[in-house]
Amino acid sequence: MSTSAKSLAGTPWKQGVKDAIPLLGGYIPVAISFGLISVQSGFSVLETVLISVFIYAGASQFLFVAMAASGAPLWLVVIMTLLINARHVVYGPNLSPYLNHDKKWLPLMHGLTDQIFALAHVRLPQLPDQARIGWYTGAAVLAWLSWVAGTAVGAIAGGELTRRWPLINDILPFALPALFFVLIVPRCNNRLWSLTIALSAVSAVILKMSGYPNMAIPLAAMSGAVLFYILKNQRVLGVY
Amino acid sequence: MDISMWLALVSIAIGTYLLRLVPYLWMKRRLAKRQTEDGVGSMPTWLTILGPTMIAAMFGTSLVPTQPDTVSWLATGIGILVTFGVWTRTRSMGLPTLCGVVSFGVVTLAF
Repeated sequence: MSTSAKSLAGTPWKQGVKDAIPLLGGYIPVAISFGLISVQSGFSVLETVLISVFIYAGASQFLFVAMAASGAPLWLVVIMTLLINARHVVYGPNLSPYLNHDKKWLPLMHGLTDQIFALAHVRLPQLPDQARIGWYTGAAVLAWLSWVAGTAVGAIAGGELTRRWPLINDILPFALPALFFVLIVPRCNNRLWSLTIALSAVSAVILKMSGYPNMAIPLAAMSGAVLFYILKNQRVLGVY
Repeated sequence: MDISMWLALVSIAIGTYLLRLVPYLWMKRRLAKRQTEDGVGSMPTWLTILGPTMIAAMFGTSLVPTQPDTVSWLATGIGILVTFGVWTRTRSMGLPTLCGVVSFGVVTLAF
């Protein structure tokens, strides 16, 4: 699949499935870990799977399980988990120019995770209008099913799996930074965007390593956006 | 799980869904109201900048290894270099990602 504009080979949903395959390397090991931790925290296998089916947001699921197991007030659990997911508010508006008025988009928004947003933000503009919903359905449903299936496997046999193949958790998740890199590198086609992207990425690394993993994405993105405006204004004024 | 825990679960599920859905509907209505030919042109500029910077930030956070020691960083650096090298040749997504993971794994296992 090309990152430049290209016509679709095969049906749109099949192409969506194909494009989302690299996500599985990141989703399945994390989902297995979640399933394992959830069961160890006292949730049943069914409850664990239902958490993944309905919440479907990695960081907030881990927080939900950890806070609930520690006996934190449930209103605080709800607020904290929603705060972590607050970054999702910019995803839908960024994609909306590429989505038609089909009502099926409404339930499909359940699948709008960080990774699906990153993939769709690059791929949807390259696709013809009539192919977009099929492509998105294929990509989002595959990602969602892999998350649910990974959770079930983790809840049922996560301990045994990680004992036998400890490298599952160490190697496969590298698919995510590799995929994000491929998605963002075509944007670095001029100095303004290159510096903006670099600052966002470096800020995110620093924030995560400083112990702020949940705030890293929105804060780093905002710092990049601020730099973009500063550099753009300097260029307009002839300084840059 | 007791009833209160189920209620918390349902609240989080609905809240997360609405965080994804409502801003999309808001922008859809805004774009429809403007009735412009090119929807992207009428989107707020800050929003069009935040899209790519969010992806860059996701790249940054996912780059940090679980165990941030020298070997993990070396594997990460080589993995990204290989990903970039394959991408410059193929301009594709699947093969560069696969080669990046394989090279990351090879370095991790070798050390």
